[in-house]
Amino acid sequence: MSLEKLIHDVNSKCSSLKDAAKLLPDASPAEYKELLALMVKQARALADQLAALERAP
Amino acid sequence: MEKLAILVVEDDPLARKVMAVQLKDHAVDFAETASAGRKLLESGGHALCFLDLQLGGGDKAEGMDLIPLAAARGVYSVVMSGHDGEAIVERAYELGCDDFYSKGNEASNVGSVIARYLNKKEGAKSDVFAERFVTEDAETRAAVKEALKYAPSELPILILGPSGTGKTNLARVLHDHSGRAGAFVAINCSAYTEDLLEAELFGYKKGAFTGANDGHKGKLLAADRGTLFLDEIGSMSLKMQTKLLKAIEERSFHPLGSEKAETSRFRVISATLEDVQALIKAGKMRFDFFQRIHGLTVELKALARRKGDILPLIAALGRGGKRLAFSPEAKHRLLAHDWPGNVREVKRFVELLAAGEEGRVSPEAVDRLLRTVRAEQGSSGSFASEEQYRFALENGLTAAADRFSDEIIRRSLDDNGGKKTTVLSDLKISTRLLYAALARMRGEPGEL
Repeated sequence: MSLEKLIHDVNSKCSSLKDAAKLLPDASPAEYKELLALMVKQARALADQLAALERAP
Repeated sequence: MEKLAILVVEDDPLARKVMAVQLKDHAVDFAETASAGRKLLESGGHALCFLDLQLGGGDKAEGMDLIPLAAARGVYSVVMSGHDGEAIVERAYELGCDDFYSKGNEASNVGSVIARYLNKKEGAKSDVFAERFVTEDAETRAAVKEALKYAPSELPILILGPSGTGKTNLARVLHDHSGRAGAFVAINCSAYTEDLLEAELFGYKKGAFTGANDGHKGKLLAADRGTLFLDEIGSMSLKMQTKLLKAIEERSFHPLGSEKAETSRFRVISATLEDVQALIKAGKMRFDFFQRIHGLTVELKALARRKGDILPLIAALGRGGKRLAFSPEAKHRLLAHDWPGNVREVKRFVELLAAGEEGRVSPEAVDRLLRTVRAEQGSSGSFASEEQYRFALENGLTAAADRFSDEIIRRSLDDNGGKKTTVLSDLKISTRLLYAALARMRGEPGEL
């Protein structure tokens, strides 16, 4: 993975996380749950991507 | 707001969910890949499309390929990207995209994009100067055009001009071109005492003060995601300016008697006929408050300084009613008149014209109607004006009498700094009548 792609992915994923977090206060209980699940998945995907980079030679 | 057909091409599920919430008032299709996006674009029917550039796992900016297709189909294309390098932005515009923003802060980004789209669409299909703000005057047109450019932004606008020049109308036109989802909420600051203005703007909870039998939603909250139009801002007290400044800056405020803060994302448009610089010099307007409300200043000239507008205004205000013609001498007299009441006076003239004239209007008829309008505006010598008489005919004498007494009570409150005891003794009225009038001023039934 290129560093350029990493910068893009970190930026995009963190932007979505930030925007989703801002929606939480006004979200209905069902939407709150859905947003949180997607946020957890997003955060894990980003962590996995960074871990892969850490493991790379 | 108009419900739009929108396509979002985005591979990130969380970003799609965020967009779904932001675009909940519209009909939205989602595509996860460039090929799915292409199919939906080809099927047609979308007014806007939001394109993520990097779709799927690869390095290629696949979303870029969809821009020419969107442009060819007349779809307003918007790139939303994690890449905002100059080369990418340039390439996207070269390919024909209409808008580009860097991801992050979607609440504001999406709203601004839709406002720009609606503004562009409105600008293309309607002639504001023929329908909404009639003027042939080059200087006034330039000022209004400049203001319309900023209609979709958050920039506060201050409209200056003599009474009746169309300040409220312009504020409404700006709101209608703003693409803002909320309402246009207007308040005339000079029509309220300080206490009443605070209650009207901020609202109050039940029992916040004597007579507050029910809670009241204030104008600031009513204007959430819309426009708050503050007319006659020059009459606002320094104390109120301080409170409003805080609410504008923080987008948050406490209704009277409430512990809980309310938030409201309103845009401020204000207007005054007074010399704002003189108000600041005289210490009647706070400089920081002025700075906060005058992002762009628009000045509207009196009709006496744009006489080329008189005949087009008469034609526009009479549109839909019966067609009348003016003799050359009648036109000359219309143009010779200074119209001190400005557009409001023209409007009244047209109403009288439509009610009593037929066919070709003579100069004598023009003179007679202008005299009537002048008499109505000034002191007519009659205790009941023509307007009051017509109001009573339309709404009944009780409603007319209520309106009359409310005006007198409001004026007495203004003259006495809001002191209710002085108003009660000066006007020799009962407490019950005073509170009924106050309730009506707040839009409550106010029955005795």
